[in-house]
Amino acid sequence: MSCSTTPRKEAISTSTLPERPEVLVARRHHLLVRWSHWLNVPILLGLILSGISIYWSSPIYQHKPDPNTGNFDVLADIGIWICAHAPGLHHYSSPPDWVYNHLSIGPGMLAAALRLHWLCAYAFMLNGAVYVAGLIAGGGWRGLLPRRTDLRDAFRMFRYYVGFPLAKLTRRQRPHPGFNTKYNALQRAAYFSVPLTGCLSVATGWAIHKPMQFHSLAAIFGGFDAARVWHFWLMWVFVLFVVPHVILVFADGWDTFRGMITGWSARVKRSAVTANEQ
Amino acid sequence: MNNKARGFFAERPLPEFEVDPQVLRRRTRRDVLLFGAGAAAALAGGGFLLPQATLSRVGVRLDTNSRAKEWFLNQALRIDDDVAEALYSENRMVATYTKSQITPLKNNYNGATPDPGYISGWKLTLDGLASGLSVSLDIRNLLARFSVRDQITRLVCVEGWSAIAWWSGLRFDDLIRAYPPMSQAKWARVESSVNLDASGNPDHYFMSLDLATARHPQTLLATHLSGQPLTVDHGAPLRLLAPVKLGLKNVKAITNITYAAEEPRDYWAERGYSRYDGI
Repeated sequence: MSCSTTPRKEAISTSTLPERPEVLVARRHHLLVRWSHWLNVPILLGLILSGISIYWSSPIYQHKPDPNTGNFDVLADIGIWICAHAPGLHHYSSPPDWVYNHLSIGPGMLAAALRLHWLCAYAFMLNGAVYVAGLIAGGGWRGLLPRRTDLRDAFRMFRYYVGFPLAKLTRRQRPHPGFNTKYNALQRAAYFSVPLTGCLSVATGWAIHKPMQFHSLAAIFGGFDAARVWHFWLMWVFVLFVVPHVILVFADGWDTFRGMITGWSARVKRSAVTANEQ
Repeated sequence: MNNKARGFFAERPLPEFEVDPQVLRRRTRRDVLLFGAGAAAALAGGGFLLPQATLSRVGVRLDTNSRAKEWFLNQALRIDDDVAEALYSENRMVATYTKSQITPLKNNYNGATPDPGYISGWKLTLDGLASGLSVSLDIRNLLARFSVRDQITRLVCVEGWSAIAWWSGLRFDDLIRAYPPMSQAKWARVESSVNLDASGNPDHYFMSLDLATARHPQTLLATHLSGQPLTVDHGAPLRLLAPVKLGLKNVKAITNITYAAEEPRDYWAERGYSRYDGI
């Protein structure tokens, strides 16, 4: 996730010039953005683990009860299938509970799950406010706004990422597509959608938590039952974001990871700071 | 978009400055250490807050002070209850539906369904009244005395499912007007002495209801479902129907209502659920 088109070699050679012993760094992330970014890790983990436990008590995806087992829950079917077909994953005695035993705080724990879910949900909303404050204070919000050229650039980035493992294997040089903004188009789309997903999760959460007082909010999402479906799939949007997010940060290297901890990035072009828009 | 607006939304270059490599190294070390401390604190905090049953799955045995843990987790419930109470308004009606929108309603008795034998001798006893007396009413008294209203509303269960059903019954508020509670009363304890546990043994069901909710125009003491007298599955002959509360507050087969100044005990609050349960 480099923000510079300049190869690293040049940056090093410039910074070791005798008259310039200093390193050039850029302020990349505001303190509040960094804090809320890392706080999201335990909060989202708590929300997802307790959320799947809540889901257990009344699954959205059900079928007619199986005549032999009485099972009606699709996630229980998945657990039974995993235990039957994936060796080494049979850790607990009850295959229908496999998903809940591994991806939630456990089946049959509704009261504990609800309590944890409300705690994390209020923390998530506060943390979201801190994040927005950090975006405003640091001016970072501008870097997240979608641009007209994003569709074409996102495709270029996507092609680059897809071809990257093959290029590594064949040791072929593969130029990173150039851009002079903080994020490339694909990153921008992701980092713009995640706060949006957070807002939608909060809205659907309130719609199913207080369906009588927030009846019209639930109606926006198609009513109480539909809002539950929204809330469930919005969780998967977070999961689908986090997996490539973590992989790409590791692939990109230390400077990107450190940027979210210290706020500073040393991967800066020595030449004039690039003009804003393309 | 005009030029000025584009200028405002346009991305600014990141602020850049030069630092001594030593300074960058020190700052990195300091922040990474802080970050590590934060990660360790989050891990410890998570271990502290997760139920022991969950921790045992991953082989962790934490003898945390469970009193402090319960207190902390209950604070989240209290805050949420306060929010729910602030959202409540006696003037805000819950949505009503048409008969074509009615959905099936299951018998969600937590334990065994009681034997219908209790129905013939059933009486509703009122206590904590302004008169200081105890009043007993049978279903015939109730239906003769009070006007019956129809209402098609959604009943929402804490488990996540819901059902739209056609209820009929008297307004709780009408009963309160006919038999006024003592002046200090802020709560009603609504209970069923015929409730059973899973193995069929008597299991008193008692629930706290704030009088503001009891007085809501859509809070009924329901006698009929879909135009028919309530069956034993749905709490014959009289059940609470407070659509602004979760289903677990909607006591079936009510036998006693006691008005009180202090918040009464609550069956589900004692089992880790919230107290107010306003939706």
